[in-house]
Amino acid sequence: MRRISLFILSSIIFVFLLLINLAFGSVHIPFKDLFQIVFLHSSDSTASSIIWNIRLPRILFASLSGAYLSVGGLLLQVFFRNPIVGPYVLGISAGATLMVGIVMLVGISIGLLGIHPFYISISAAFGALCVTALLVSLSSRVKDVVTLLVIGLMMGYLCYAVTSILITFAEKEKVKGFVLWQMGSFSGIVWKEFYILLFSALFLSILLSIIKKPLNAFLLGEEYAKTMGVNIKLLRKLIVIISSILAGLVTAFAGPVAFIGIAVPHMARLLFKTSDNGILIPASAILGADVTLMCDLLARTLMSPVELPISSITALFGAPVVIFLLLKRRATI
Amino acid sequence: MKSVLKTEDLCVGYGKKEIVSGISQRILKGQFVSILGPNGSGKTTILKTLAKIIAPIKGRIYINGLLLDSLSSKEVAKNLSAVLTERPSPGLLTGFEFVSLGRYPYTDIFGRLTQRDKEKIKEALKLVNAEDLSERYFGELSDGERQKLIIARAIAQDPKLIILDEPTIHLDPKNKIEVLNILYRLSKEKGITVLVSLHDVDVASRISDLVILVKDGKIIDFGPPEKVINQEKICKLYDLKDVHFNSKLYTFELLKNNSRKEIFVIAGAGTGTPIYRMLLRHGFGIITGIIHENDIDFHVASSMRLEVISEKAFQEIGKNTLKKAFSFIDHAKAVIDSGFPLGSLNRENVELIHYAIKKEKQVYTLRKREEAYELYRDLSKKLIYLNDFYSFLERA
Repeated sequence: MRRISLFILSSIIFVFLLLINLAFGSVHIPFKDLFQIVFLHSSDSTASSIIWNIRLPRILFASLSGAYLSVGGLLLQVFFRNPIVGPYVLGISAGATLMVGIVMLVGISIGLLGIHPFYISISAAFGALCVTALLVSLSSRVKDVVTLLVIGLMMGYLCYAVTSILITFAEKEKVKGFVLWQMGSFSGIVWKEFYILLFSALFLSILLSIIKKPLNAFLLGEEYAKTMGVNIKLLRKLIVIISSILAGLVTAFAGPVAFIGIAVPHMARLLFKTSDNGILIPASAILGADVTLMCDLLARTLMSPVELPISSITALFGAPVVIFLLLKRRATI
Repeated sequence: MKSVLKTEDLCVGYGKKEIVSGISQRILKGQFVSILGPNGSGKTTILKTLAKIIAPIKGRIYINGLLLDSLSSKEVAKNLSAVLTERPSPGLLTGFEFVSLGRYPYTDIFGRLTQRDKEKIKEALKLVNAEDLSERYFGELSDGERQKLIIARAIAQDPKLIILDEPTIHLDPKNKIEVLNILYRLSKEKGITVLVSLHDVDVASRISDLVILVKDGKIIDFGPPEKVINQEKICKLYDLKDVHFNSKLYTFELLKNNSRKEIFVIAGAGTGTPIYRMLLRHGFGIITGIIHENDIDFHVASSMRLEVISEKAFQEIGKNTLKKAFSFIDHAKAVIDSGFPLGSLNRENVELIHYAIKKEKQVYTLRKREEAYELYRDLSKKLIYLNDFYSFLERA
């Protein structure tokens, strides 16, 4: 009962946040106009185009991103049985950052003067994919999941090392753009990018509904899971693939978004009071959407018209929440 | 009878490092089998190999007549379940949810529980007397309660064989006995074969159908405990030097040290045992008598390698035995009357007290004054009365 009402409550909050996000920004659009624009498609050209072309795709993308990162973080926290793990722990964002760094800093911009955002997305996705492919190929060979975790962490360090060398030799203006990209932002998201996320969500929810069962068995640790009939090698691959898609897609379009993936699974556990992944996966998704929408609203409005990087808000908000929840919690994972 | 578990020339270890080799065993349905051996002897490695957590170096394992290697992990899980030393901590699962994980090999791809699954879970909870834990969070429970749920989970997996690695190690005596009792009932009532590694030789000897002794990379012996467990083997198994294992009582006793402050304890019917233990701990030398060879005090004293003056079972105490006892009293520092029951066969023990008083030895008694008077008459005035045997330490 408690869980159902929590789901309903967080959905209501979600709708509420959607409306607020649509209304507020550098241009304020009153709710009355908002309804007319969204539901009646009345076309006061500026307001309508702000809503339809800028805010709506961005907001929808941000909420799905929050859901993705939170679920990705949850999967890896359970898989590694470690509460401070997030979706980027396997080096996904480091791989993406390195590739974006190569494109933005070294300037392989294929003759174009400015770098089209599309190339940045492609290179980020490619970087994430490389790291994922390497991890998948190693995942069945390593002795235990901790080794896999360490390999992921080390790959992250390697990528960052190369990135820092690139930064050292890069021009100042390029560095600023790159640093800002590294802190993530949902600005400039277009419908196409949202559709990619939405389409993958269908595919991912099937995978997630299947992975819930072995993931629950994994709560007892890898050895117990083996004796219960879990196909460990397959599960390792699936976890790496799913969590990489979840984090990689978001990173490709919005850059690395910190903290959502670490903080939200803890919030879900403590609010819903369960370790059952069948409940935690949807709970993390909806809470992730809520939290991200709130953070994006703050990022857009706090210093308006200057927009803050999303990671600065998520960390400011997330770090204290995680500390508070961890101090309050009674039991692990 | 069909064997539930069979190994042929099995060699277990990690990578190429052999830990235990030459394991050829056959375990039948419903048997309770204990593996005994010192820490680091490879018990865990054997159990993990049998549970298909690690691969064997060589040899074959058959579960229910089927080669373990040829079974899928799901089929293995339907045949055997495990309780490992690794302590799981899914804090926010309820007892019921925790046990339901045992249904893993039976549920559909989404992990949904059917009515039958739920019944199996309830049955498992009932078997371990943990029905009251089904709504409580795992993280809030005590070690004993958690262990019961961990075992219930293994039962819910509906296996033919349960493998347990030191399931009683963190438990207090009550929980230890309860857990072992549950396992014993599983094997006898449900016909589930139980293979367990234990450190309690005494308990293992009492409840096992079969014990397997592991040491120095091989199985040094196996068979029914009555055949396998004896003083020599247990001392060898655990490299015991200052401890004695009594294979009739299945108890460990410290061995006598070479102190010279010797105390003569007149004992019988178990009244001497706590006194021996206390005196030994405090470094006294002990002589005891005159006790019959069918007396518990005799077995305990012999285990401790004390000087025992004894008479054959059910015989009256002979003159020679009495003389021998007198000569020991001559050299003793003090005499303790343990308050043993006095009957027609051990009446001569009163003579010992007479003799000790005559020799001006200090004679302590644990009897009440009235009782001593009835037994010893005038002699009773010369005794030193103790409320309990600890007060002897304060006086001596």
